[in-house]
Formats: sequence, C-alpha cells, structure tokens
Amino acid sequence: MTSPIPASPRVVLRLDRIGRRRAGRVAVQELSLELHAGQVLGLLGVNGAGKSTTLSMIAGALRPDRGDIRLNGEDFLEHPALARTQIGWLPERAPVWAELSVVEHLDAHGRLRGLNGAVLRQAREQVIERLELQPLARRLAGVLSQGQRQRLGLACALLHRPALLVLDEPANALDPVQAAKLRTLIREQAAAGNAVILSTHLLAEVTAVCDRVAILHEGTLRHDGPLSTGDHAALERTFFEIAMNGVVRAA
Amino acid sequence: MSLAAVTRLEWRRLLVRPLAWVLAALTVAWLAWNFTLLLGGFLAGQVQRAAQPDGPGFVDLVGVPLLGQLAQLAFLVVPLLAMSTLAGERRNGTLPLLFAAGVPASRIVLGKYLALLGWLLLWLALALAMPLALAHATHFDWGKLAAATLGLALMLAALAAVGVACSAFASHPALAAAATLMIALALWSVNLGAQLAGVNGGAINWLAMSTHLQPLLRGLVSSADLAWFALLIALALALATRRLDAERERG
Repeated sequence: MTSPIPASPRVVLRLDRIGRRRAGRVAVQELSLELHAGQVLGLLGVNGAGKSTTLSMIAGALRPDRGDIRLNGEDFLEHPALARTQIGWLPERAPVWAELSVVEHLDAHGRLRGLNGAVLRQAREQVIERLELQPLARRLAGVLSQGQRQRLGLACALLHRPALLVLDEPANALDPVQAAKLRTLIREQAAAGNAVILSTHLLAEVTAVCDRVAILHEGTLRHDGPLSTGDHAALERTFFEIAMNGVVRAA
Repeated sequence: MSLAAVTRLEWRRLLVRPLAWVLAALTVAWLAWNFTLLLGGFLAGQVQRAAQPDGPGFVDLVGVPLLGQLAQLAFLVVPLLAMSTLAGERRNGTLPLLFAAGVPASRIVLGKYLALLGWLLLWLALALAMPLALAHATHFDWGKLAAATLGLALMLAALAAVGVACSAFASHPALAAAATLMIALALWSVNLGAQLAGVNGGAINWLAMSTHLQPLLRGLVSSADLAWFALLIALALALATRRLDAERERG
C-alpha cells in the first residue's frame, strides 16, 4: 500500500513582475513571488526598500504600474473588488476614523467588506474577544494609544475572515505580551489555511513566526527562501549583506 | 452595498463631529431670530396689504426671504462640512482603507456626497419648519414655497458637490474649505459686472448660479435652470471621482 501523495498547497497570491513608481522614483520593480495557503511570509528590507508599497499593491490600495497580481487564481487588477472579501490589511501605523468608537469602527469595516446584520455582529464579537478589545469597545478610536490602535487595526483586518492577511509592521508599539499574542494569532491564521504576509523591521519577529522570508532592497527582491526555526543568525547575516552590499555573497 | 456602507460611515462621522452640531445650532438660532423679525414685519404691514388683493403674501414676505437667508449661510456651512469628506480621509491615512475594501472611487465620492446632502437637506427641513408651523394660520402659497424649496435644495446639492470635489483635490481640509468658498462666491457673482453694465443675457449670465436660483425663489420652475444645477453637480462629482481614481493609480 502506497501512502497518498500530499496535494501541493493552493496558491493564494501570485505576483508576476509587478512594478510601481512613486514620487518620481522606482519604488518596486520586477517583483515576482507566490504565496501558498497556510504560509507565513516575512517581508524584510531597510527603510525605503519598497515593503509598504508592495503591501499596498497587494492589499488593493494602490495599483501597480506593470505586472499582474492573481488572488486565488483570479486577476486581482481586473477585479479589485476581490480585495473586499479575500484580503485583510493592517496598514503601517493603523489609521483610524478618530470620531468612531471601536465597535462603530468594526461595524464600518464589516459593512465595507460586505458583512451585515447578525453575521456582522457575530464576527465583531469574535474579533473583540480574540483581540481582548472588550474594555475598549465603547472608547473613541481617536483616543486609543498606538498599541491599542494596532490591535483595533488587526481586528478590522481579521473581521471578514480573509484568505490573505497583509500586515505592515503589526508589532509596532505593542508591548511584549501583546507581541507574543500577535505571534500566536499569526500562527493560528496559518494553521487555519490562511496565507499571511508580515512586513517588519524585527528579525526576531520573522524567525519566530514565519516559515519563509523575502528581502527587498531598492525595490527589487534580493532573497526569497524558506526559514527554519533557529535560523536567526543566518537570516541576520543575509539581511545585513543585502542591506550593506545589495547582494548575498557566496559563503 | 458598498455605496450604502460609505454613506452610512460618512453620515455617522458627520453626526458625531461637534462642528456639524455647532453649525446647525448657530445657524438655526440665527434663522429663528430672522424668522421672528420677518414675521413681525409681516404682521405690522398686514392692514396695508389688505387693500391690495394681489399683494405679496406670507410666503413672499416671510418664507422665501427666510430661505434666502439660508442660502447666504450655505456659503459658510457647506465648505466647512464638506472640507473633511475626502481631504480629511487623506490626511488621516484612512482613504487607502476605502480603496483596499474594493470600493470604486465613484461610490466613495457618491457615498460621501449623499451623506453630506442628507445633512444639508435636514438643515433645510429645520428652516422650513418655521414658516410651515404657521401654514394653518395664514393664506399659504404652497406652489411658490415648493419652488423656492426646490431651488434651495438644488443650490445646497450643487454647493455640496463642489465641496466634495474641492476636498478630493485638496491636501488639507482648510484648503478645501477655502477653495469651495471661492468657487461658490465666483459662481454666485460671476455675472455681477455684466448686470451692472445692464447686460441680462449671454454666457456670463448663464454661468452664474444666481441666474438659475432667482426664478425658483420667485416660484418659476424651468427645466433649463434644473439642468444647470444637474450639470454642475454631475461635473463636480465626475471631477472628484477622476481625482480619486488618479490617486489610486498614481499613489
């Protein structure tokens, strides 16, 4: 009796040579990568490497100048409304509508993502509980601390149970306890079969939670490979070589 | 669905913003004071007017002048309320959240416009309630009041569209408010020189908002005037949509 061959995981996201100019300079060029269901990809790079531009394009907030993005096999640029149900995005610094309370904020996000009525209420209660936002539920988003705003932004990103979670510096301003809970949450999402892209400056964050790492430098992908637990030193070496020299030198 | 979500979000933001309430309270108080003055004048001249069978009535001397006062206030109120619709979102960094929810630019613009228009129509209804409160006690020219109300509603709709368009183009809400005020004043008085020179026709007079509002305030509804307002609204909203589309394209 032969053991069944495991099916290769579904490709959730495929970037094909995407590029984007911003403020007169090339922010991202010729970027291609694939992300499978259940995978957590760490996106690294120095400031200005093009991480946030890449994530904004993946999230649908910005259109690439060239290239293709396919989401679950469908052309995302042709059908930007796919972002509505399939992508959850936490932008850098978690912008909020300051006049709305946490609950109103979640409701507004839910409605924008097509949730309504009992489904919306249930989804809202679940993320409030999961992210421990109960004490903040009636508080105005404008008076939350940066760490609390990050948690609210994360709750908004998770509300509609997206297949792809795009997190831009999610651990910013989180205390160590919340940062540890964030790691658990990311692993939970991956275990549930969702794909996660995590952009961060913290190498430890990547080694703790990601199973693959991509390094951007001056808008181009310089490294894309798997990451095993305990690879911190190797990752650090690769990252610094790219950051300083633009390439990884052969050992 | 997404149009309703954007409208609801903007409506909620308008309702919880102190500026909207302060403006409503101050302007309605001002209109109420003017209503009592106009009513006093109407009552004082009632005996003289009894001798003129076709003389001006309650609507001519109280209702329409009150709506005229509201028209003047609109030049201040609309820019202040419209300024944050899109420029405020851009400044807070929340505009990309709407893009990332897959909401087309046209629905973002229309949703925000409808919410603002809803507030302005409520404001108009509050002002109208004053003359309507005396409808049972006087000879009431319903047709003339309806035409004047339609004129005011169209004026508010046009100014709101201009305000949303200015907010789409401006980087800061204060700039949007200033631009809306300038354009509104220009639209109102573009034919002032021609009028002083005794010219009552031509393109310059057609361009002026006052040319199209005055007949409605006198009770004369013409499809040419309605078309002028419809054109201005469509043009302003189309420009705002184009600007948002370009922002999503160019970043």
